[in-house]
Parts: sequence; C-alpha cells; structure tokens
Amino acid sequence: METLDRPAVRKLMGEVLAVQGKTLPDDDTAKLADIGFRSLDFSELALRVEDEIGDELNFEAAGLRSIETIGDVLDLLVEIQGQ
Amino acid sequence: MIAGNLVVDARTGRRTTWGELAQRSAPRSAPTAHVVEHSVDALPAVTALEDGGEMLVVASARLDESLAEELRAAGFDLAAGDDVRAATSPRAAEDGRVWLLTSGSTGRPKRVGHTLASLSTVTGELAPRTWLCPYSPGTYAWWQVITLGLGVPGQDLVLVDPADLDDWVTPALEHGVTAVSGTPTFWRRTLMRHGPELGKLPLQQVTLGGEPVDQAVLSQLSVAFPDARVSWIYASSEVGASIVVHDGRAGFPEEWLDRDVPGRPRLSVVDGELVITSPHHGTDASGAEMAGAVRTGDAARIEDGRVLVTGRLDRDELNVGGSKVSAGSVRDLLQSHPDVAWASVRGRKAPLVGTMVVADVVAGQGATVSADDLTRWAAERLPEYAVPRRIKMLAEIPAKETLKSDV
Repeated sequence: METLDRPAVRKLMGEVLAVQGKTLPDDDTAKLADIGFRSLDFSELALRVEDEIGDELNFEAAGLRSIETIGDVLDLLVEIQGQ
Repeated sequence: MIAGNLVVDARTGRRTTWGELAQRSAPRSAPTAHVVEHSVDALPAVTALEDGGEMLVVASARLDESLAEELRAAGFDLAAGDDVRAATSPRAAEDGRVWLLTSGSTGRPKRVGHTLASLSTVTGELAPRTWLCPYSPGTYAWWQVITLGLGVPGQDLVLVDPADLDDWVTPALEHGVTAVSGTPTFWRRTLMRHGPELGKLPLQQVTLGGEPVDQAVLSQLSVAFPDARVSWIYASSEVGASIVVHDGRAGFPEEWLDRDVPGRPRLSVVDGELVITSPHHGTDASGAEMAGAVRTGDAARIEDGRVLVTGRLDRDELNVGGSKVSAGSVRDLLQSHPDVAWASVRGRKAPLVGTMVVADVVAGQGATVSADDLTRWAAERLPEYAVPRRIKMLAEIPAKETLKSDV
C-alpha cells in the first residue's frame, strides 16, 4: 500500500484550503482556528488522503489527542496510514 | 389487439404487424417464462396472451441459474426459442396473468403480478405516433410501451435492444420515430452523445420515467425538441403508472396530494415518503392484491407548490455531522450547472462528521469544468455541510441495462 509522507499530506491540506480561497501558512504551529480549518475541512483532507493511498484510514488507532495546529493534523494523518 | 399497428425491429429493419406476430405465436398451456435476447422475440408470446395462458418475459442477460431454478420451482417452464426447460413444480396456468420481475429491496428479483389490462394505463384517443422502445424486455417500462402498441390505435413501435442504444438516433430517423420514452440517464447520455443530431428528429412526445426527474434535464429536452411535449411519469411494477406530468416542470402540483378522484391513484407524502394508493397496482407472488396504500420508498418533498420526488429514501437522506442533507437535492443542483451533463451524489464515511457528501460528475460535451470549480460553485448555493467536497469527474455517464444509472 502506498503511503503519503508529511510534505505530501501538507500539499493536500493546502489544496483543501485553496478551493476556499485560503492559503495554508508555512508555520506548522499555526492554529487551525486562526486559519479557518474546521471539521468539514479535516474530513475532506482525510478523504483526499484515503483516495491517494487507496485505503481507508483507521482513526481509532489515533487514540485521544488534541488537534489544534497544522502540525497536529499532519502528525495524525501520517501516523495512522497503514494502521 | 390492434392488428394493423406496426412493429419494427431496429436491429434487422424488419417491419411486421401485430396481426402477423399473432400468426407466429404458439400458445402454451403451462405457465411460461420466455427468455429472450431481443425485444422482438417476446412479441408472438405476448399476442398469445389474449387467448389465455400465463407468462413472464425476461432478458437472457438477466437470467442467472439461481433465478432460472427459482422460476422453475414456482411452476414456470423456461422457453428460449424452441428450447424448453420444464418446471420442477408444474402447476396449472392462471389465464391472463403476466408476471414482472422487479429488482426488489434485497437485490434479488421479486415477482409482481399484472394482466394486460392492468399494464395498459393509457386510455382515450392518442394522436398517431411511432414510439421508440429502448427498454429491456419484461421490465415494467417495456410493458408500458408494448401495451401501447398492442392496444392503442395508431401507435407503432420501433424496438431497439439496450445493447444497441449507443446509436438509437440513426434507426429512429430511418423509421420515422416521433415519440421516445426513456429514463433521465438515457436522455442525459443522448443529449451528451448526439447533441446537434437531435434537431433532425421530429419528436412530438418525449417521456421520462424510472428515475428522479430534475428540472435541468426537462429544460434541456425542451430546447433540443422544441415541437415535443415533454412529460415525466412516475411508475413502478407495484403501483403502476401513477403520476403523469405534462407541463415540462419537475415535480407535480401540491394540489394533487390527498385528493380522491375515481379511477385515479391517491397520492400522499408521509414522513417524507411518497405513498400511493393505486387502481393500477399489481399482486404479490402469491397472487394477493397489493391493495391499499403502498409506501414507495421514494423520498418526496414540497417546494414552491410542487412535490419533488428526489430518490430512494434509504439513499437520499445523509447525516453530515448532525445536519440532514438530501442527496437528490444536491444532485439536482449539480445537474443545473450549465457544464454538467450528469451527476450522482452519495454519502461517504468520514472522520469527525460521520458522513460527507461526495459526487460523481460527467461534464457536458466540450466543457472543461473541474471538480474544484464545481465545489466552489456549489458552496455559493448550499449550506456548508451539503457541499460535495470530493467530486470525481467521469468520462461518460454510467448506465445499466435498465437504462438507469448504476451509481
């Protein structure tokens, strides 16, 4: 199964925002609330990742965690691929 | 039977009359499932039905071994031309009974009983027409067109097999077709594939049915065939042809709801579902009448004084993070985009929100619209949770043998 590395997931995240006319900041510590990246955007990003790797992501494997920044999103989506 | 009405087989170009077909019929005393490869092959048996007998027509492509054994156990001989496989539980025929196979809620075909009379829902005089019959043999829509030719004066038929539908316009022009009935998927494929050619077809009647009918396809057909009456029909094996709308608009007038008119179906919307009490209903496999109100399983909603039938209830309502979305409404919106020929909308499992709205789309001929363009366009017209976030652009409109979309 193909997996996406962090830069590839970041690129997809930028595409989700670009459709809405927004730009993804370079700084991974930027808060999701500040850039307007919400639940629906996160869900869309997850589907984009699934489409790229051809497999369903297992969010149960992620455990409880706080997702507040761009870096948190990228960490999670890289980590759960293939689990 | 109107012996002089013509039947043309588009595959061979052969022209015949119902009277001639009746001479070729060999009445069978046992209940018989006629397995046919081509529409025209079933017609001699249809004419024999007027003298009694019990029959079912099924396209050979649809008959697998499990269905064959099911039918034989239910008392049917299977007849494919001269090749007959006898019933495993023989029984006497119920004279005049016609069985239809529906897809059924489980995906396994379910038998619904009719008679030629209950299948013939067109009454009164009709202007002479030549109808294209593009449907798969034995389906309810096929019987609707066949009984029109069999029983209504001046209604000739041109039969095209579903496998040959990519180019139905050529035989339609050759044989003088003036009326065509098809599913919205059939029409969208036609508009995409044959755009400019369609102007040469002198259609007087364009009919849609079998799937939800949206305003976009009705409007496109009115432009393509300016001299035609564009009608849509709600019909099924269970409730017959229950709604017929001729005003070129999607949905039917709200005033038609909960009205009792002798000989006409009673239409209601209960908990968002279309409910029909029909005089054209069939029977179940045991022969018991499907009387009373039938829950159709189709979602209906009232908008601007019209009752819109949007799709199957179990697939129409999507729950996106607690907000309800009608997949049919989103599909209709996408199909109203000028560069979209066809769209299908469904839910897809997603984290955080449970389900997200996603779509498959086919762009119109020569259109270069992208998935992102469509997402942005939909975002300007829909609540945020209803916007299709993943849109897959397909090269052509998918369709199965029933002429309905297979997505």
